[in-house]
Amino acid sequence: MIKSPVSIRTWTQKARARFNDPSRRRGLLVAFEGPDGSGKTTQRKLFKTWLKSEGYDVVTTKWNSSDLIKPIIRTRKAVRSLSPEEFSLLHAADFRHRVDHEVLPALWDGKLVIADRFLFTGLARDVARGLDLDWVLRLYQPLLWPDIVFYFSVSPGTSSKRVSAVRTPNYYEAGQDVTQVEDPTESYQRFITRVIREYESLALIFNFITVDAEQSIGEQHHAIRRMFRECEARPWSDWNADAFGEWLAGRNRER
Amino acid sequence: MTTMPGTLVAIDGVNGAAVETTARTLAREHRKERAAVSAWDASGIFGELMVAEEDAGLPSARTLILLYAADLAFRLRWEVKPALGQGRLVVVAPYVNTAIAFGRAAGLDAKSLSEMFSFAPLPDQSRIVETAASRSLSDRTGFVEFASDQLLGAKSKAVRRELVIRAARTLKTISVLKKRG
Repeated sequence: MIKSPVSIRTWTQKARARFNDPSRRRGLLVAFEGPDGSGKTTQRKLFKTWLKSEGYDVVTTKWNSSDLIKPIIRTRKAVRSLSPEEFSLLHAADFRHRVDHEVLPALWDGKLVIADRFLFTGLARDVARGLDLDWVLRLYQPLLWPDIVFYFSVSPGTSSKRVSAVRTPNYYEAGQDVTQVEDPTESYQRFITRVIREYESLALIFNFITVDAEQSIGEQHHAIRRMFRECEARPWSDWNADAFGEWLAGRNRER
Repeated sequence: MTTMPGTLVAIDGVNGAAVETTARTLAREHRKERAAVSAWDASGIFGELMVAEEDAGLPSARTLILLYAADLAFRLRWEVKPALGQGRLVVVAPYVNTAIAFGRAAGLDAKSLSEMFSFAPLPDQSRIVETAASRSLSDRTGFVEFASDQLLGAKSKAVRRELVIRAARTLKTISVLKKRG
C-alpha cells in the first residue's frame, strides 16, 4: 500500500521540523546566475576551491546536465525542432530531475550545493522567448529557493563580445528560433539584450546579490567570499518545505 | 473550446489499449470528416526515456508530467492544430486529464497540474474510458500504466497497481463532475 496524497503534507511537516533542529547541520544552496560571457563559471570554480579549503562538503550542479533528460534535449536541439514551450518544459524536467537526485539529497545531508545556473536561467530565457512568466514559474513548482543568488551583471555588448571572441553561438543560445535572424552573432546580440532585461527584473523581484562582472576576477571573488559570509548563517527558508516534502514522499515510496 | 474550425475530442483513461481502441473506433465513425488520431509519445520522448542508462536515475511524478506536457506541446503543434485548422475532427487520446489523474495519484496538487497544461486548448468533447488498467506492459501501454512503472520509487507491483487504481478513481471523479456540468 502506498502512502496517500496526504503524505506529502506529512513529509513537509517533517522537513520543517528538520529545518528547526539546531543539532542537525543545515544544507546551503548557492546559485550563480547571469548571461553567457559573464564569467560566472570562473567564479564558481574559484568559490568551490575556497569553500573546500574552508572545510565545506561541496556538490556542484550545472544547467541542463542530467543524464536522463539532457540526451533528449540534445537530440532535439540538434535538429532545431523545439518550440519555446517544448524548450521550456524539457529544461524544467531536466531541472526537476537534478533537484530530485542531486540538489535535495545533498542539502538534506547538510552539504553545500553550488548551482551553475538555477531556475532563474529558465525564467529569463523562456520569458525572453515570449512565454508568460507566471506559466514558466509554475513549471518549477514546488519552488526551491537558493539561500544566495549571485547575479553576474554584464551589458549585452560585453556578453556578445566575450562569447563571440571564443565561439559562434549555437542556434538556441543565439535565440535564432525567435529572432529569425540568420547571422548567429547578430541574433545573439538581440536575444541576450532581452535575456538580460529579464534577469534585471528577476534580480529585483528575488533579491539577487549583484556582482559587477565587469570588475577583475580577483575583485569579484573577494566580494563573493565577503557576501557569502554575511549570508551563510541565515536559517532554512520555510518556503522550501514543500519542495523537500514532495521529494521525501517520493523517496519514502521507494523504501 | 478551440477557436479553430475543426473539432477536438479528448479521450482519457488509464488503460492505454482501451483508450487507443476507443479513439480508432471514433475516428472510423467520422471518416467523412477526415478524422485523425493523436496518440501520446508522438515526439518519441518516452521511447528515449526507456533506453536511458540505469544510473541516470528514475524520474519523479513531476518530471514525468513535465515530459508528458512537452510531448503534448509537440502533438498540438504538429498533429492537432494543423488538422483542426483544416476543419477536421481530431481525437486526442490521451489528453490532459490522464496526466492530471496520474499526478493526483502520486499526490501532486491539482491546481499546479491544471496550470501546467493551460497551454492546451479546451476540447469540444471529452470522454473518459473506464476500463481497468492492463496487468502487463505492452506496445499499447497507456501513459498512466507506463508512468506508474517508471516512477521514482514505484518498485513493487503493489505500488504500481495502487497508483493506477488511484488515477482511475480521479478520472471517474472528473467524469462525474463533467456529467453534472
